[in-house]
Amino acid sequence: MSDADIVLNAERVGMTFEAANAPPVTAIADIGFQVHRGEVVAIVGPSGCGKTTLFNIIAGLLEPTGGRVEVNGEPVHSATGHVGYMLQKDLLLPWRTVIDNVIIGLQVRNTPRKQAEAIAHELIESYGLKGFEHSYPSELSGGMRQRVAFMRTLAFSPDVILLDEPFSALDSQTRLVLQSDVLRIIRERQCSVVLVTHDVGEAITMADRIVVITSRPGRVKSIHPVNIAPEQRHPLKIRKLPEFTALYETIWSELGIDLAA
Amino acid sequence: MANAEIVGRMPEQTADRKPAKASQRSISAPWFAQGKILFLQLLLIGGFLLLWEVAIRAEWIKVYLYGQPTGIWRELVKGLTSGTLLRDTWVTGKESILGFLIGSIAGSAAGLLLWLSPTAAAVLRPLLIALNGLPKIALAPLIVVWFGVGIESKIAVAAIITFIVAMITSYAGTQEIDGDYLKMLKALGASRLQMFRMVIVPGSLPWIASAFRLNIGFAMIGAVVGEYISADQGLGYQIYYAGTLYNLNAVWGGILALMLLAVLLDSAVGWVERRMKWR
Repeated sequence: MSDADIVLNAERVGMTFEAANAPPVTAIADIGFQVHRGEVVAIVGPSGCGKTTLFNIIAGLLEPTGGRVEVNGEPVHSATGHVGYMLQKDLLLPWRTVIDNVIIGLQVRNTPRKQAEAIAHELIESYGLKGFEHSYPSELSGGMRQRVAFMRTLAFSPDVILLDEPFSALDSQTRLVLQSDVLRIIRERQCSVVLVTHDVGEAITMADRIVVITSRPGRVKSIHPVNIAPEQRHPLKIRKLPEFTALYETIWSELGIDLAA
Repeated sequence: MANAEIVGRMPEQTADRKPAKASQRSISAPWFAQGKILFLQLLLIGGFLLLWEVAIRAEWIKVYLYGQPTGIWRELVKGLTSGTLLRDTWVTGKESILGFLIGSIAGSAAGLLLWLSPTAAAVLRPLLIALNGLPKIALAPLIVVWFGVGIESKIAVAAIITFIVAMITSYAGTQEIDGDYLKMLKALGASRLQMFRMVIVPGSLPWIASAFRLNIGFAMIGAVVGEYISADQGLGYQIYYAGTLYNLNAVWGGILALMLLAVLLDSAVGWVERRMKWR
């Protein structure tokens, strides 16, 4: 891939928090990686590796103390809606119906309501929530709510989609279904994605490349390409591939988690 | 934000969704069980009134200290036939409703707007804490001095008390909203005004609804105490005036009319509240 394809470029990004009565804390140091158009990059690290900090910097919610982040060649200084955001919490507004939750990003950009609703209807129909347009979030299951949150992220076509442990609050069956659905949608729409996860298996299933980060301060330890064809990336079948097992073990050992202990 | 008074009341306010279900269950209870409760309630009230009447007639207690059920009835009939009771109820009702609407609406708006200006909120914080702890009715004599003896001063007492309650409650509501909603909107590129419109206002509505429910009671207290201080009409004035004459029957008559007014206004606000609630 050429440099022109780079959608997200993080260069030597560092963040040190100054506290009044304590020594400064360096959450992340010299983190650098790129995301190309249509690529899924997973960030895997132990807890305390500064994933949330990195996330907030990419989204423009936090100004890094070192390095820079560029989206489509433009440096990120503040939150401008260049990045779509999906967390473990669905953050659906309980007083808005499904469709009104999906269009909120478009409303922020003052898209005419008719046009916004047309986009939302198309998403809702293609991704299996037809008939629930006017339901309230409290009437939906956890998996459906997370689907709505994903549609809200897709609706305003951000340059980069950030997924922060998006499936970790779901039960394991729902998680597998949602993983493969989200993966399919990401491929169909050629989305550029950063996926943060604890789950190494999830990272291998979904990502084209995996960035392994160390803890306190978070630094890039290694970057692994995942050479598994899209048609083999079924959340269950993929686990039987020798490539999967090999990469799984490598990453586990890099994370420094000793299973024998 | 210190909201001991308001927060202390919140659970019973939010809890009243569950009793709604409980009462549905009691509707499906057998009719004779319901009839039994009603019968016992009537028996309790009837027995109490009878005992009271007997105690007066037997001169166990003095009528000018306690009043007398049949005397109260005569006062009520007299008030109704002469039209004074309805007139005074209307005056107090008007004062309460106008004060309630002015104070609750302006107070809720002020509390929400404080979110838009954290500086203003920080500057006003000590004042809000002081006002929250203050028995607000203590302000009534001042307000009557400022606004005169007419109906305006009672509206003002009710409005100022309800304004304070609504402002503090709605501001507390804005502070209770999950910060992650705001972060999500900010990442979408939303302005502070958009966050206010899309999250802060709708998210605070349950708090505002509960402030309205509390305020109808506070508005009546304001109106009646205003009338106690200085007035020439209204139920509060009639109760106070009759009290100075030791006409306890008229005092009880006024109290009964106030109770009826309170039930009416409270159920009107409750009716509106139920229609406004999002799921």
